[in-house]
Amino acid sequence: MDITLTGPKILFEIPLGGGIPITETIAVSWLVLAVISGLCIWLGKNLTITNLSKRQVVAEWIVETIENFVRNNMGGDKFDGYIPLVFALFSTSLISNLISLTGLRSPTADLSTEAAWAAVVFVLITRQKIKTNGFGGYLKGYTQPIALLTPFNVLSEIATPISMACRHFGNILSGYVISTLIYAALAVASAALFRLLPGLLGDLLSQIPLLDFGVPAITSLYFDWFSSFMQAFIFCMLTTMYIGNAAEE
Amino acid sequence: MFQELVGIAPWTVIFTLCNLALTMFIFKRFLWKPVQEIVAKRKALAEAQLTEAAQAKEEALAIKSEYEENMAKAREEADQIVAKAQKTATSRSEEMLHEAQEQVAEMKQKAEQDIALERKKAVNEVKDEIGSIAMEIASKVVEREIDAQDHEALINEFIKNVGEAS
Repeated sequence: MDITLTGPKILFEIPLGGGIPITETIAVSWLVLAVISGLCIWLGKNLTITNLSKRQVVAEWIVETIENFVRNNMGGDKFDGYIPLVFALFSTSLISNLISLTGLRSPTADLSTEAAWAAVVFVLITRQKIKTNGFGGYLKGYTQPIALLTPFNVLSEIATPISMACRHFGNILSGYVISTLIYAALAVASAALFRLLPGLLGDLLSQIPLLDFGVPAITSLYFDWFSSFMQAFIFCMLTTMYIGNAAEE
Repeated sequence: MFQELVGIAPWTVIFTLCNLALTMFIFKRFLWKPVQEIVAKRKALAEAQLTEAAQAKEEALAIKSEYEENMAKAREEADQIVAKAQKTATSRSEEMLHEAQEQVAEMKQKAEQDIALERKKAVNEVKDEIGSIAMEIASKVVEREIDAQDHEALINEFIKNVGEAS
C-alpha cells in the first residue's frame, strides 16, 4: 500500500501575472474566515442591557476572556489595541485546526499560514521595541551585554518567529501525518483481518476498511482536539508575552 | 497538482495576511465594539442606580430624623398642655372652693343678721304686748276697787299673761 503525504492541493490558478495559485489552504482559510465572521456577527447583534440571552452571555464571555488574557499577559489595559489581533490569531488557529475533523485539510497544516502570522508578530515585536527604546536603543540592544554577542542576539531575534511558526506547524502537520498513517495502517489491518473470513463474505468485507470507523476517533481526541486548543493557546500566549516583554525594556 | 509538504508559498502568505486583517476588522466591528458598548452602558446604569439608591436612603434618613424631631416636639407640647391644664384645674378648683367658702361665710353672716333682726323684732313685739297688757291692766284697775286679794290675783294674771306671750 502506498502512502503519499502531499502539500496543499492547488485547486486552480488565477491567470494573473505569473499566475496566482489557489490552494486548499487558501480555500479552507476562506471558509474559516466565513465561519468566524458569521459567529462574530451572530454573537454581536441585538445586544441588550438587561435580560441577557444565552447568545449574549457567550459573546460577553468571549470578549471578557480575550480582554483578560491580553491584559494579564501584557500588563494593564494600555495594550488593548492588540485584542483584535489576539482574537483573530486564536480563533483562526483554533477553527483551522479543528476543521480537519470534517476531513478538510487544515490551513495550519501549511507552513505558509504560520509563517505569515509569525511575520506579523515579529514586525509587532520589533515595532514595540523601537517604540520603547527608540531606534538607537533598539540597535544597541543587540550589543548587550557585550558586543561580541551581537551575532547571537540577531540569531535569537530571528529565531523567535521561526520557532513560533515551526512549533505550531510541526504539531498540526505531525497530527495530520499520524492520522494519515493510522487510517492507512488500519485499512491494511482490516483488509488482512477480514480476509480470514471464508468465501464471498471475506472477499467483500476485506474491501471495506471497517477498522477506520471509530478507532481514529480516539487518536483524534489528542491530535485534533487537545493539540488544536494547545497550539492556538500557545501561539497567542507567546505573541502577547513577546510583545509585552518588548514594551518593558 | 500539489505544493510542497513543508514550504512557504508567497501567495498563501499574502492571502493569510489579508484574512487575518479581515478577521481582526470583523471582530472589532461586529463583536468587540458592541459588547464593549453594552458593558459600559450596563456599568453606567448600575452606577446610576447605586447613586440613586444612596440618595433615596439619605432622603429617607432625613425624613426620619425630621419626623422624630417633630414627634419629640409634639410630645413636649402635649406634656406642656397637660401640665398647664392640671395647673389651671387646680387653681380653678381652689378658687371655686374659696368662693364657696366666702359665700358660705356671707350666707352665715346674713343668717345671723336675720336671726338677730328677728329676735329684736320679737322682743319689740313682746314689749308692745307688755305695754298693751299693762294698759289693759291699768284700765281694769281703774274700773274696779282694788283690794289686796284682787291685787295679788291681778299680778299673777299679769305674770301669767306675760309668760304666755313671751
